[in-house]
Amino acid sequence: MTEPTDSSGMSCDEFAQMAAELALGVLTGRERAAALAHLDGCESCRELVRELTMTGEELLALLPSREPPAGFETRVLERIGLPAPGQSRSSHQRSADRRADRPAAGRPPARPAGRPRSRMRTALSAAAVAVALFVAGLGGWGLRGATGPSAPVTASALSTAALVTAAHQTVGMVTVYKHTPWMYMSVNLDGLGNVTVKCQLENAAGQFTTIGKFRLTDGYGTWASAYPSQGAVIGARLLSANDTVLATATLR
Amino acid sequence: MATPAERLPDETLLAGLGAGDAELSVAFVRRFQGVVFGVAVTVLHDRNLAEDVAQQAFERAWKHAQMFDGRQGTVRGWLTRITHNLAIDTLRVRTSAPMDPGDLATLLTEIADSPERVAVANDSAAGLRFALRRLPREQARAVTMAGIYGMTARQVADAEGVPVGTAKTRIRYGLQKLRAALLPEDAGDD
Repeated sequence: MTEPTDSSGMSCDEFAQMAAELALGVLTGRERAAALAHLDGCESCRELVRELTMTGEELLALLPSREPPAGFETRVLERIGLPAPGQSRSSHQRSADRRADRPAAGRPPARPAGRPRSRMRTALSAAAVAVALFVAGLGGWGLRGATGPSAPVTASALSTAALVTAAHQTVGMVTVYKHTPWMYMSVNLDGLGNVTVKCQLENAAGQFTTIGKFRLTDGYGTWASAYPSQGAVIGARLLSANDTVLATATLR
Repeated sequence: MATPAERLPDETLLAGLGAGDAELSVAFVRRFQGVVFGVAVTVLHDRNLAEDVAQQAFERAWKHAQMFDGRQGTVRGWLTRITHNLAIDTLRVRTSAPMDPGDLATLLTEIADSPERVAVANDSAAGLRFALRRLPREQARAVTMAGIYGMTARQVADAEGVPVGTAKTRIRYGLQKLRAALLPEDAGDD
């Protein structure tokens, strides 16, 4: 059987020689560009890189945890511009001004973001970019034109409920922010495989609005986005592509 | 629903961090600060530098919270990767000095031989440690240099006094053996 090669002539054997370095993020320059170009057209090598990247991640997971210096938590929250526990409102307001500088473009719509490597993005197809992002470890799935809430919300403005099937099995969870129209749903439906599902929210009048569609891979998927503000959200549901209700959630 | 934040799943805390929810953000930092600081200080050895990197990691997690994709792994793994990338970038900028062989030996001993240091012991961690102990020493060093310290094959070759091709082979075989330990039923091979 002839060894598959890509348009630049790299065979899978040749790729395999640098696959580990690519997965560990230590392949550079021309070698890296050539390797990524090969990945563009080769699913089996992409699978190899996925497995090696996962192995690298497991290696990192062996690193010991270490207690940071005292006050670390407070400094992190200040850096982000959130009130640390016990912080006064006025000092929080000063921090909030700094937060206004946070670029909303940190969440660009419908475009997977990652470490800036613009030369790579223009040179490769979306598939290779997706793998490269995976290799870079940021992963990502595009948000549909949404930007996150910019004002901090208190815990009481957060509503979380389990997504439950008709058979009372919990298959996911939905989180809705009441004063900012932002929601997050995660689904883990064993046996459903790779399918498209729909996420809907229910308003106080009992009307359902489809917020978005997303893919489940091996039954797993998540969705995060803004939703059209329409008063109180009292429920959510998950539907299959042909509108079968898979699970529902009741929010308060 | 008044669930104490400490009982919420990782992904909910992350979503809360991204949304600027004060209570969830505090819980998120508390839950993961040991992991994040541990990665930073292991790579950098300097606690001050490590704290700065750890703070940057949480800041990045806050900015990119919506980009987390649960299909690709866990929140812990994602955050570890963010921290590790930042630590390696800092290491590369800060120093071109070859790595201290003593640090590497210490790290290898720590991660391969001391399972009790890890808060969560799971099967894959135990299997990976076992596989790491069984690797030829030069492959274990090469994989650790590349995988933990972000050293290229060239840098591994220089540190070990071997040709680049030898370093590449050691990284490749070492990582493949570790992969085999995690995927024992892997049918296909390159």
